[in-house]
Amino acid sequence: MTTRRPIHLEALTIQFDERFQLNNINWQIEPEQHWVITGTNGAGKSALAAVLAGAGERVSGSLSGLPARVGVVSFEAQAELIEAERKKDDADILDVISEGTPVHEMLFKDCADPATARDLVARFKLEYLLDRAFRKLSTGESRKVMLIRALSSNPELLVLDEPFDGLDVDTLSMLQAYLATLIETVPMVLVLNRFDEFPDFITDIAYVNQGELQLQVKRDDPKAYAELYQLLHLKTTQLAVPPADPETAIPALDPAQPLVHLNGVSIKYDDKALFSDLDWTINPNQHWQLSGPNGSGKTGLLSLITGDHPQCYVNDIFVFGFKRGSGESIWQIKQFIGYVSSALQWEYRVGTSLRNVIISGFYDSIGLYSKYSDRQRQIADQWLALLGMSHRADQPFNKLSYGDQRLLLIARAMVKHPPLLILDEPCLGLDDMNRQLVLALIEKICAGTETAVIYVNHHPEDRIEGIENYLALNAPTPTQ
Amino acid sequence: MPNNYFNTLPLREQLEQLAKCRFMDISEFSDGVSALKGKKMVIIGCGAQGLNQGLNLRDSGLDVSYALRQAAITEKRQSWKNASENGFTVGTYEELVPTADIVLNLTPDKQHTSVVTAVMPLMKQGACLSYSHGFNIVEEGMKVREDLTVIMVAPKCPGSEVRAEYVRGFGVPTLIAVHEDNDPKGEGLALAKAYAVGTGGHKAGVLMSSFIAEVKSDLMGEQTILCGMLQTGSLLCFDKMIEEGVDAGYASKLIQFGWETVTEALKYGGVTNMLDRLSNPAKIKAFDLSEELKVIMRPLYNKHQDDIIDGTFSRTMMEDWANDDKNLLGWRAETAETAFEKTPAGDVEISEQEYFDHGILMVAMVKAGVELAFETMTAAGIVADSAYYESLHETPLIANTIARKKLYEMNATISDTAEYGCYLYNHACLPLLADFMKGIKTDVIGRGLPVDDNGVDNARLIEVNTALRSHPVEAIGAVLRGHMADMKKIV
Repeated sequence: MTTRRPIHLEALTIQFDERFQLNNINWQIEPEQHWVITGTNGAGKSALAAVLAGAGERVSGSLSGLPARVGVVSFEAQAELIEAERKKDDADILDVISEGTPVHEMLFKDCADPATARDLVARFKLEYLLDRAFRKLSTGESRKVMLIRALSSNPELLVLDEPFDGLDVDTLSMLQAYLATLIETVPMVLVLNRFDEFPDFITDIAYVNQGELQLQVKRDDPKAYAELYQLLHLKTTQLAVPPADPETAIPALDPAQPLVHLNGVSIKYDDKALFSDLDWTINPNQHWQLSGPNGSGKTGLLSLITGDHPQCYVNDIFVFGFKRGSGESIWQIKQFIGYVSSALQWEYRVGTSLRNVIISGFYDSIGLYSKYSDRQRQIADQWLALLGMSHRADQPFNKLSYGDQRLLLIARAMVKHPPLLILDEPCLGLDDMNRQLVLALIEKICAGTETAVIYVNHHPEDRIEGIENYLALNAPTPTQ
Repeated sequence: MPNNYFNTLPLREQLEQLAKCRFMDISEFSDGVSALKGKKMVIIGCGAQGLNQGLNLRDSGLDVSYALRQAAITEKRQSWKNASENGFTVGTYEELVPTADIVLNLTPDKQHTSVVTAVMPLMKQGACLSYSHGFNIVEEGMKVREDLTVIMVAPKCPGSEVRAEYVRGFGVPTLIAVHEDNDPKGEGLALAKAYAVGTGGHKAGVLMSSFIAEVKSDLMGEQTILCGMLQTGSLLCFDKMIEEGVDAGYASKLIQFGWETVTEALKYGGVTNMLDRLSNPAKIKAFDLSEELKVIMRPLYNKHQDDIIDGTFSRTMMEDWANDDKNLLGWRAETAETAFEKTPAGDVEISEQEYFDHGILMVAMVKAGVELAFETMTAAGIVADSAYYESLHETPLIANTIARKKLYEMNATISDTAEYGCYLYNHACLPLLADFMKGIKTDVIGRGLPVDDNGVDNARLIEVNTALRSHPVEAIGAVLRGHMADMKKIV
């Protein structure tokens, strides 16, 4: 066996066809590592695996350290083989029925390691079809033949794209156990979608999204591993955003009226203005991005809308049909608003259960102080299922990770389907993984409901798809 | 000359008033704030209670403004700033009080006589005057104009918390009362209920009480277990640890944050839960110490309650008011000079559990103080609900203030009345416990019991557990805590 060296992809961009390319891949596979590539359908998992088998056209960047013998199993490779066999048949000009290549020839002709091939035929219990034509095999059978071919080729790298697909339980565990015997001799890269199929010997996981290698997670980092599980769940789940509770429905608003109308508003401390003479109108279903540097008054402006700023009473503010200061209560205002910010998260340091946190969104309270209905509980449970947190429904909120807390607070804000959802820097303080999680949830929400979103971010260039209106606040002036 | 109102009543009525206290059902608040809707509410005083109650009432859709003395407005004092920066209308007594349907007197106790004397002639016929503490009526015998309705709405938490809990969508437990001598139109209760809804109190539980029960129980709680016991305990425990060679920084931290930590357990599950946090041998030790403490301190608790009931306490305190607070200021200065107060908390890690394990004596002191205050109050005719709120319920709130900045912060936060009572207690209790403290070693304060053997006698453990769980403060506590749907951590 030759001395193994790492495989190194550096800033690699690879074109597959007009429609798909992998962008700026930075990835190093060490000889003793075994990777899983995971992601949603169409994210580029198989493409990335295929790069290791030499596929695609390099646009830029570099790829080094690829060994000469790569054992490949994939749906594409399988389809190619079957297609080649079919062509042999079509190409037959004689009026003789072609049987195609028999399995034993597929396996043993040009085989680098016939002993292994024989051993695997026995393990897969394929003796009975050695004489059968390859193209007559079922999908599962031909997949097994592909696996034997790859494993008996003396590979220096194994690239197995969904190798467990279509295998029965016994064969699956046999194969997993067999692969485990190879871990000292050959590095493996597996494309897998289901977390429960990740073999124990996997050391690293690559998460691919939209043609990019976005996250690399160590198997022995339980926190990151659990988060990746959740992310994949959110990305792949068929579950939709749960409905509102018909019994505590928010009063209907006049669709011709703006949700919010601020008329020349200002916030002043000690005669110094945070901002002044500002107009802002937010219409139903209109998405806004609010940006501005630190201290420009973004949160202050929002709190005039939510009623959390006491100076909302001395400004000309119209919200959800109420002129502020005309005898309305803040609970009449808050019922129309879903709100998430790090400040809320800081306030929400209660030991109540995850389920109760979501239910509290029906009551606009921090903590739950009201008797809730069975229906509300059901809706909360549907949200937990969407978030992939069903099994943690009764755990205390304050023991959750920061990112999970944020997800839950977004669900809390949305549970009543408010006409206005305010996300005040929803990704602030989150790592890449949790950022992805939060954005995945926001995407899900924006796709499924009729809610106007105000997205706050202090980088005006950091724009979100679907947002067409922008309000930028200026840096505070040092003197007034 | 002040004329103690309580003492003018016949015994039959005194007892009846003292025993007034009923936990109200949430359904009694179904009218919401409607009794106050469209009425003009003018708050006198814009300190922590005044400002925060006003913010809540306005957010509940009520019309709130602030009347301040001319000087406070001209000099732009803090109270003026508080009110105007929050977008409230601010005016002088003369400008605003005549327009008020209800005047909320939220000034410190000490100013009540002068405030009410100034405000009363300006109030319109048939308006309402509201207090958040009954001292002025009960102890000073303030006579309010006959056409005015007099009520009390007293949130049982510091002003900052009154606001914070409202913003969360909750509230703080609140006591309401109607002064029966001043309820000409019979609308006092409706107004007090609407006011309690406006501050969010109805969500956390409202006690319907009397001016008398409120004053006599509030004074008793604050000067004994709440402030007095924590102050005395702090000084004794600290000095003992220093004497026994415990690191000063450690000792300081153990006490400063220890009260808060152990009473957090008290808040969640009463005295029982606080002691259940200890190991079995430590629990038995704490129980024995507290029994000893109760025997030594009971006469002192009785004396405080007796002086409060017959007016001796308020009379001597008012004499000090008249004497430019000579005693109060002297005692305040003295407290600032104590070794505990002057030793900063050390930069040492103390785990939550360690506060219990190394603070067995502190746990015993809290238990003894809570039970004694409760027993003494109920023996004096105050009902269990009142006695619970004025003893066990408020202990963690005061402990939080010590965690912030030791005794200074506690005494700065509480009212002058509470502070005065606290010093009285402290001066009597320190010598009372001198002998007891001679027998105290670091196993119960500072270092913890040796951990080589956690064995205890079964029969003794059962005895202790039964005694803990069957104390009457635990029975009422379980009921009242059950009303608070969700307990949350107050940092």
